[in-house]
Amino acid sequence: MTFDLSILAQYWPLFVKGTWLTIRICLAATIIGYVIGIVLALLSQIPSRAIKAAIEIYLLTLRAIPFIILLFVVYYGLPFSGIRIPAVITGTIALSLYASAYYAEIVRAAIEALPRGQYESARVIGMSALQAMRHVIFPQIVPTLVPPSTNITLTMIKESAVLSSITVAELTYQSLVVQGNTFAPFEAFAAVTLIYWAITAIVAHAASLLERRFGRARSEHLVGSALAASFLSLEAMPKRSRR
Amino acid sequence: MGFQFGYLVSILPSLGEAALINARLAAIIAVLAILGGTLLTILRAMKIAALNAVVAVVISFIRGTPLLIQIFIAFYVLPIFGLDLGPESAGVAAISLNSTIFITEMMRGGLTGIDPGQIEAATSLALPRWLIWRKVVLPQLFRIILPMLVNEVTVIVKGTALLSVITVVEVLRTSQQIAGSSFRPFETLVGAALCFLVLNLPVIAAGKVIERRTAGARR
Repeated sequence: MTFDLSILAQYWPLFVKGTWLTIRICLAATIIGYVIGIVLALLSQIPSRAIKAAIEIYLLTLRAIPFIILLFVVYYGLPFSGIRIPAVITGTIALSLYASAYYAEIVRAAIEALPRGQYESARVIGMSALQAMRHVIFPQIVPTLVPPSTNITLTMIKESAVLSSITVAELTYQSLVVQGNTFAPFEAFAAVTLIYWAITAIVAHAASLLERRFGRARSEHLVGSALAASFLSLEAMPKRSRR
Repeated sequence: MGFQFGYLVSILPSLGEAALINARLAAIIAVLAILGGTLLTILRAMKIAALNAVVAVVISFIRGTPLLIQIFIAFYVLPIFGLDLGPESAGVAAISLNSTIFITEMMRGGLTGIDPGQIEAATSLALPRWLIWRKVVLPQLFRIILPMLVNEVTVIVKGTALLSVITVVEVLRTSQQIAGSSFRPFETLVGAALCFLVLNLPVIAAGKVIERRTAGARR
């Protein structure tokens, strides 16, 4: 078994194309998904049983169903209702919907973690509901939203690979094309693995910079003694004790 | 040509049967991943530098790449190295490894919630290392990570749908086969979605109950 670099030399334009499409799809899905998520989180603050129940059903359904199934339901469902659009749009819509459920969940949790008085005080001094959200609630929850949003965004980038199954020519699809043409799965998947790895690493790094900007650098966990660390810490080097 | 509920109902029995395959595979994967995650956590805590360096790379790889690609690698690439597992085992292996890594990382976070004094107390009682794990650390650790662990089970159940792409005849592939002959893909796919609701909603509900109970216990 040798690693045939000539395959990558020959097919690298496909990988570049696929990477670019994956990035564009994920960017669009993150933005659309986040907007839907915020709207859902705000709607769920309205004291109405019907709205709450409808949102709950939406969130539960999207969390229970695999993304690949949601994708196929949208893929076959849209033409069924007379809408014909390219697969790449279908895929982006499905990914946005999937992401929206998870974003809604964390935005809602962040809103509800704030003391209720915050919102009420804002209303009492004459702010509208939207103003209260914009000037009082959001500035406080944005920093806490960065770490979970990063996690969800990374998950979405990885889920976007599933779009290959409805023939969207993104990164994974291109690797399958290369594998089909060359019968060299090792080279094709090694290349695509490294590209995904790089993308997720860059996003994770950018998020950690953002986190630091908000002054929420992850506090290092300190385990009392080297003895306790030999059970309770999985880091290579035991952290220095504070005591 | 409207949505035919009658047709959807007529295929539910065959989809349900296929969904049992997802349930079976998910159960096997969950057991393997919880065992694997626990063992890996214990191994990592021993702080063998070379081993932890390798584990760190594996963690980064598993968390940084799509599960679908990991499944492809298990199915298409491993045979090149003489490890031809067949679709079902390759898929189980890929999802199990993926989940093992997520569980050991959960445990890494969970361990920080255990009072270091307990380890010192247990050691001063001359408890052997494995007994400290079994009687002191693990019972508390599982309680801490239980909500996340339940969530991971739903991820595992969802992951089994991806095995359709490597020819495992589970619920998604069955629905595609049915759609191929009936030309009613929308109804069949909705049927497959219903199967996953039935599989996952009880797990999610159990998770919510557990979360509420542990949140109550902390107050």
